[in-house]
Amino acid sequence: MELLRSVYEVAGFILLIALGVAALEGYFYYHFKFHDRPWFFWAGLAVFPLLVWSGFVAGGIAKPGLFAWLFAIEAVVLAFFRYAVKGRHSLAYLLLLPAFVGLALLLVYPFLFEVYLSFHDLKLTTIMMWKNTGKIPFVGLEQYVKVFTTSPLSEVTFWALLGRTLLWTFSNVFFHVLGGFALALLLNNAISLKGVYRTLLVIPWAMPQVVAVLAMRGEFHSQNGFVNIILGRIAEAYPLLAGLGVGPVQWLSDYPLLTCTIINVWLGIPFMMVVILGGLQSISTSYYDAADIDGASYFQKLRYITLPLVKPVLMPAVTLGTVWTFNNINVIYLVTGQAGGTEQADILVSALYKAAFTYNRYSYSAAFAIVVFALLFFISVTYLHGFDAAKDER
Amino acid sequence: MATVKFSNIVKNFKDNQVLKRVDLEIKDHEFVVIVGPSGCGKTTLLRMLAGLEEISSGEIHIDDTLVNHLHPSKRQIAMVFQDYALYPHMTVEENMSFSLRIKSAPRKEIQERVAEAASILQLGKLLKRMPKQLSGGQRQRVAIGRAIVRQPKVFLFDEPLSNLDAKLREEMRVEIAKLYQRLGATIIYVTHDQVEAMTLAGRIVIMNQGVIQQVGTPIEVYRKPDNLFVAGFIGSPTMNFIEGTLRVEKGHVRFVSPSLSLDLPASLLPAEGAHEGREAVIGVRPDDVYAGREAGKNCSQKVDAVLEVSELLGHRENLYLKAGDLRLLATVEAFFNQSPGSVVPVCFNFENMHVFDKASQKRLSA
Repeated sequence: MELLRSVYEVAGFILLIALGVAALEGYFYYHFKFHDRPWFFWAGLAVFPLLVWSGFVAGGIAKPGLFAWLFAIEAVVLAFFRYAVKGRHSLAYLLLLPAFVGLALLLVYPFLFEVYLSFHDLKLTTIMMWKNTGKIPFVGLEQYVKVFTTSPLSEVTFWALLGRTLLWTFSNVFFHVLGGFALALLLNNAISLKGVYRTLLVIPWAMPQVVAVLAMRGEFHSQNGFVNIILGRIAEAYPLLAGLGVGPVQWLSDYPLLTCTIINVWLGIPFMMVVILGGLQSISTSYYDAADIDGASYFQKLRYITLPLVKPVLMPAVTLGTVWTFNNINVIYLVTGQAGGTEQADILVSALYKAAFTYNRYSYSAAFAIVVFALLFFISVTYLHGFDAAKDER
Repeated sequence: MATVKFSNIVKNFKDNQVLKRVDLEIKDHEFVVIVGPSGCGKTTLLRMLAGLEEISSGEIHIDDTLVNHLHPSKRQIAMVFQDYALYPHMTVEENMSFSLRIKSAPRKEIQERVAEAASILQLGKLLKRMPKQLSGGQRQRVAIGRAIVRQPKVFLFDEPLSNLDAKLREEMRVEIAKLYQRLGATIIYVTHDQVEAMTLAGRIVIMNQGVIQQVGTPIEVYRKPDNLFVAGFIGSPTMNFIEGTLRVEKGHVRFVSPSLSLDLPASLLPAEGAHEGREAVIGVRPDDVYAGREAGKNCSQKVDAVLEVSELLGHRENLYLKAGDLRLLATVEAFFNQSPGSVVPVCFNFENMHVFDKASQKRLSA
């Protein structure tokens, strides 16, 4: 019976979505189709506000003045369709509508709500007030000031976190590109069993990140981890190296950010490798033939031909990689974030997560998230600008 | 400038032998065109000379130096590629000077040599452009300029005109001919286009299935094709072939086929007993098939043929004729005033006729 009930609930949910989409399509169909009829305004004003209003009443959330609002909104929509849209591109918009609505619900609404939160004060002490009255105190820019002046966690400041995040991002992306490039160059040669190597190398990317990260975290365990066992053996076998300080290390407590970086580099190389390999394979061999005849050495060919010609595929991948690494909470949180974890490895987004869901500072984290968003936006635009410049060059 | 010598060159791609014991000598200052259908091994031969392809066996000498194991850049050759292979991220000037820049040649020398090549090819105004801002013909000129800058002993052209449209191709053909006159270099030029071969070459090398079929001046390979393949490959429109049997009769040879029998003059094929009963193929170019009034004036042994289609080319006209089961193409002076379906007398110019042995495909006639 439990099973039947779940099926029934899921089916009901899907049906609800379908009905919602159908209602929306019908609503806009009316506006596209009949925009030039004489009764367009009157029928629209008579039907749609009333329908929505009765829906609100039935749901028990109607408020005084609501009908007037709906009436005014509908008048604007009707005028917009009559004088601006004039029935143009109606099919295209009707087909795109479900996607737009989905995006609006999943992206636009949360974003607007986040902006709203960031100018108010929602935290553990005000959440009950919000629940009971639906109101939270307006605080203006106070949350934004707090972002830059107080610590999101117990000790590290925003600026320390920012520096650490930039270090983390750029060192990761650097090694991703370096490792990916080296492997792609190897795979681009005519070697036997190429398919096998490629499959093996892509595994870290194909594996669910949680599994991969937790497995790697185990390997960095101070006593039973692979890394420390190997380091111990090396120190035993070569006393000289041991004298230089090679030996088991408390990875997770002494070098948490380094551990995270190693794990994330390992995770991120396959993506870059695949992208760069695709770029390499698209370079016509006749450039290399011409360079051979011109007398270019291997490194000259790499420097003057391979690198510039891979750049157009590399730049978008680096932009993506930067954003992903900047936002990568998985690795940091899974390696260091559990109970008794350290703050030494936290980057902006993992601190943000902890501020919101460990310390319950919702409005503060909303402001924090908007600051992070602005940063990423700036980085991406800079990268894409550089990418365009590179494209114009060719 | 230099001589090039291929001796016993063999190339295997796995089990597939694409070049079978190729021997070829190219003299100093010579313009040699290697021509053949696609897959005949002509580009492979060129790439082996350039050092871009491994040599399975045999030897290549440039100026008496064995170059089999020499790096491409050390062979003092320059190559113009089919797709030009201009580095897309470098300007014309950077493309042309690349070989000198990576050798860290003195800047003055680089400038002089680029300027010289640019003036030869009239590229002066394009030096700061990117390859994508150039037309096909301009790119081709830059690719040639890049070769000139290197001052090579031998220029290699790998189907350089095949990416251009017909009109541009004609223009570039003339440019390359002029360039050869000016540089006096040794040039090896690979193409599948027999018109390019005929118009450019000092000597033509015709290849098929990894074997050299004939080497000779354009007029030699046109007038005296060694075998059926060369006869069919060189010349446009293609030569007519008539299959039949030879009979030796009093003092001359008679060619007998189901739809056509001809007494061959002794100047074409002497009456030797060995020819009796031999399966043979007669080849005659469309220009040497006389039809209508021309047939009346010029020759004996007329045959009646039905005109199927006629194509007006301008000053000439192609006639598609059918004599019995035999299809013939005749090219005659325009305007041939006969409608399709009419019967036309046809005869042949025995002076320019070719007789081939069907079994060996070799030339029998003098």
